Amino acid sequence: MTDETTPRLRLTAISKRFGAVRAIQHADFTVRAGKVHALVGENGAGKSTMIKIVAGAETADSGRIEFEGVAAEIKSTTDAIGLGIATVYQEPQLFPELTVAENIFLGRELKKAGRVDWAAQNAKVVELLELLGLPERYATAEVGTLSVAEQQQVSIAKALAADAKVLILDEPSAILTDAEIEVLFDVVRRLTAAGVAVIYISHRLDELFRIADEVTVMRDGRTIGTYPNKDLSVRQIAHLMVGEELSDARPHREVPEGPAALELRGLGRTGKFRDVDVTVRAGEIVALYGLVGSGVSEIAACVYGIDRATHGQLLVDSTQVTIKNPEHAQRLGIALLPANRKVEGMFGFQSIAFNISTGHLRLLSKLGVWVDRAREKAVALRLIERLAVKTPHERQPISAMSGGNAQKVILARQLVERPRVLVLAEPTQGVDVGAKEEIHRLITELAEEGTAVLVVTSDLPEALRIADRIQVVRGGTTTDEFGPDASQVDLLAAAAGGSE
Amino acid sequence: MSRAVRILLTQRIALLAVLIVAVVVTFFVNDAGGYLTAPYDFDYMSAALITAVPLAMLGLAEMLVILSGRGGIDLSVGAIVSLAGMVFGFAYGEWGWPLWLAILATAGFGALLGAVNGFLVSYIGFPALIATLATFYAYKSVAIVINDQQPISTEPIQKLFSISRSVELPLFGQYVPDVPLGIFTFLLPTVVAVWVLLARTAYGRRLYAIGTNDVAARWAGLPVKDTRFKAYVYAGLISGLVAVVTVGQFASARPDAGVSGNGMALPAITIAVLGGVAITGGIGRVAGVVLATLLIVWLNAGILLAFVGNEGSQYQLLALGAVLVFAALLNGLTNRKYGGSAS
Amino acid sequence: MTAVAEAKIKKRVLPSPVTGQEMVLVGVIAVLWAALAVSTPAFLTAGSIQPLLVATAPVALIGVGMTIVIITGGIDVSVGGAIMVCSVLTAKALVEAEVGLAVAVLLSVAAGALLGLVNGVLIAYGRVHAIIITFGTANLFMFLGLRIFGSGTVNGIPGTLAFFGRGPDGRTLGVPHAFLITVLITAAAWWWLRHTAGGRHFFAIGGDAQAARLAGVRVQRRVLLAYVLTGLLVGLASCFVIAQGTSTLDQSVGAGKELAVIAAVVIGGTSIMGGRGSVLGTLLGALLVQSVASGVTQLGWRSQLSDLFVGIFIIVAVGADLLRARARRNR
Repeated sequence: MTDETTPRLRLTAISKRFGAVRAIQHADFTVRAGKVHALVGENGAGKSTMIKIVAGAETADSGRIEFEGVAAEIKSTTDAIGLGIATVYQEPQLFPELTVAENIFLGRELKKAGRVDWAAQNAKVVELLELLGLPERYATAEVGTLSVAEQQQVSIAKALAADAKVLILDEPSAILTDAEIEVLFDVVRRLTAAGVAVIYISHRLDELFRIADEVTVMRDGRTIGTYPNKDLSVRQIAHLMVGEELSDARPHREVPEGPAALELRGLGRTGKFRDVDVTVRAGEIVALYGLVGSGVSEIAACVYGIDRATHGQLLVDSTQVTIKNPEHAQRLGIALLPANRKVEGMFGFQSIAFNISTGHLRLLSKLGVWVDRAREKAVALRLIERLAVKTPHERQPISAMSGGNAQKVILARQLVERPRVLVLAEPTQGVDVGAKEEIHRLITELAEEGTAVLVVTSDLPEALRIADRIQVVRGGTTTDEFGPDASQVDLLAAAAGGSE
Repeated sequence: MSRAVRILLTQRIALLAVLIVAVVVTFFVNDAGGYLTAPYDFDYMSAALITAVPLAMLGLAEMLVILSGRGGIDLSVGAIVSLAGMVFGFAYGEWGWPLWLAILATAGFGALLGAVNGFLVSYIGFPALIATLATFYAYKSVAIVINDQQPISTEPIQKLFSISRSVELPLFGQYVPDVPLGIFTFLLPTVVAVWVLLARTAYGRRLYAIGTNDVAARWAGLPVKDTRFKAYVYAGLISGLVAVVTVGQFASARPDAGVSGNGMALPAITIAVLGGVAITGGIGRVAGVVLATLLIVWLNAGILLAFVGNEGSQYQLLALGAVLVFAALLNGLTNRKYGGSAS
Repeated sequence: MTAVAEAKIKKRVLPSPVTGQEMVLVGVIAVLWAALAVSTPAFLTAGSIQPLLVATAPVALIGVGMTIVIITGGIDVSVGGAIMVCSVLTAKALVEAEVGLAVAVLLSVAAGALLGLVNGVLIAYGRVHAIIITFGTANLFMFLGLRIFGSGTVNGIPGTLAFFGRGPDGRTLGVPHAFLITVLITAAAWWWLRHTAGGRHFFAIGGDAQAARLAGVRVQRRVLLAYVLTGLLVGLASCFVIAQGTSTLDQSVGAGKELAVIAAVVIGGTSIMGGRGSVLGTLLGALLVQSVASGVTQLGWRSQLSDLFVGIFIIVAVGADLLRARARRNR
């Protein structure tokens, strides 16, 4: 065993640039054997880049990495695995048709006389499963038959089978229920007892207090500091993450009093969220703010008819409705900007005009059959101008555009029919600062024109910046409500579950 | 120079046009040199177009289903041609229905067979390859059994051979070669209809949208299943029309018309892919399929004159295979080199 | 849980060796044979079963290779053309060079492997979808086959390959050699796919080729191997085809066989999406298809009617699988 005073892994003065963006500047990070080390920070603070450098998925521009006191070079994932650094990502990368044992040993099977030594592999797997608290019959179960939580544990087992000395858990709790999180914590404690160093990344600060020994806070690409867990409160961490609060001199908008355009009463979907109460009036911007895994994105999918709610009521213009599908939602005057632009939004190799008009063909065609190309072009050009989309012409394929411009095009699609209720899921994710600014300005304009806007976001400054009211979502339900003058610390503490 | 190369590699239509010119010039030169067994001239090229009618029509049918994405393909088009052809044989040749009604019924029957494919693929979720493999066997079998393996070649059917003849075009017809009648009665209307459907109607937009990204299509409120279903129905409808053409060409409704030898599905898929239709869906144009058909038809016609006996038909296989592998490798290359269009 | 049951679980190191689909197929074949035995007493005689098994062999044998190809997420629609090349080449060698049994088999297998190598290289390294490449090579192989044919047919093929044939020379203790060889090769492939690392890697590639590559699987080499193996088996199956025919080989040899093989694979429970499948199922699928064909003839129906049943079997087999997957997702 290594000497207690020598850290398992030490990163000093790490810097990394992506083009003009300084993702990390002079960051320091130290991980010790047998300890759980939490890495926290807001979206874009540099956590994920830091993890990628440790895991070998990115290479640092400058800085020094020491493994067990010896200078080490991590240039590829293979290098990292060779050192004993294993990463468990949010989405388990497993083969559903293969058994747990096969998944764990894929590519480095134990062999005996040319064939796979199933008995030896299974014995080892059963040992690991025991450590993880899973029944040993799972060794021969196909991974596809397991729950998501169990699959995640298989990923951990896979990392451990490679004799991991450092285990990185990237947002492991985001996809888990409370009971499953308990099991995960149990596993983490057993691992640290066995001498593994664990790097734990989570948005949920309340969790960290139960599992972490040390907390390193990142902000704007810098490590602000490392603190023993027992010395901190959730509020204090939230303070460190947010930093000096900028006095965002946002003019207070006069929100018209009027009937609710969209109302969710005790809305729920089994296994996803429950008892959600939200009201959005015409001309009002309401933010649903929740951390990854809080259920906030599933709520948006229900409002738009992608999923069906199983409990509660949904009212549009004070009339109760059951939204059957997105087409139905559109007819009711609801538009939604999806969160995952590439997968749910873009028609990659099609033109800007195509991307804007698709979904509104009933409106943009004669007799519902013939596409009115002149009108389509006019609508596209009008929206390109209004949203300041930077493009030479409307026939440009959207796949060739930057994230910000592509996002504006997808947003333009939602505005073709002037919706009365506009739901925006993560409207500025992966968008550059300038475009972000413009999108925020546009959202405010739309509200001024009388649109009821519901912004579903995990971006804290965004929620504060544009919303008239902020509804916090935690653990699959709406909890506290804040006005636009709430502090970031209050909101973060409420969403991360440590307001007590 | 590099710009020209790039256009040829990325613009399938430009590449096909250049290849057509190259093929035609090559055979003209060979003809002038006396290496061919019969003259390769405009009259010959025009007469050869008769084989383009079923080929291009089925190529367009395949294009519709391949465009719809999610591994869209239709192996059953040949079997539909056989079965719908028998239905046409019964209706027109045996029951004495008027021609227009028999054609309508045949096209409708083809659409019905296509609807079975569409239902299995779109609403039940079968992989298209499997669903259409199954219906290929089923339709093929029924077509043969339905009239006890006998072709129908009654008098009205035999007289239909007239649709395969060539006609002089009105007005300026005396200055250009005569053209097979089937081009005007079946091929051109189909080409125009499919082009209008894809380029001018809301349905065409939806089809490209679901083929490009069917998750995004769902989030955009498009009827994904309905749109994909209809692509198979239209493919069946076109196959029904090809059945009529084929009965006319053979002057007989043959129970194995669309499935004998290698059948009609393989060449049709080949034409679609050669015409630039991406097997992953969402990319493909009518002009590409038409040009690909012309290329293959005129290449085949030339090969027939360049070889004696049945060697010609053998070298046609070589040409088709080589062109397809070449086009496929080119797709792979351009996707890598120029960021490509396929997802 | 009892101690006995627990011990049993510890001993069982892999999922059940026989899938549900295979059990169902065994049941369906059993019911079919029983029904045929009742309706046509001649069915359950050696004179009826032996030809059935012989006729099953080529499709089932190529099916072993096709199953592996489809498990990797690929497909090979060129096997019909490849059969033509191998069989005409071998037939010519038998007629003109009067080669012996061993040389004929070796020649056929080598030719098949070479054709498989062409497919494999283009697919593994050309990064083009397998179905398109093999549509193309299908035409090239047919061209090659027809060129070797020269004109019309190959006549006067000697009985050198009778070992694989329908006659008494093709049987030992009443079991046709062709079928026996097919069963042995299927068993070997079954063991190989189930118990070796290389075999398991085919499943990983079909599940997620990119993830498999990251886990250290040599994806391109494995894919290449799958097509070469299919070619090898096509070579051997072509010998069966020659032996089962008359002394004349005509140009229709191999036509449509690619679809027959794919049908057997799919009915056997292999997923066309890759990642899942079994050569045992393929053998049963081929046997079912041939049993139906044989039954339809024996009942005096038109032989082409059996294709209708093939279509129905495909729909039922895959449809049941789809419903099962849907039920699993909704659980």
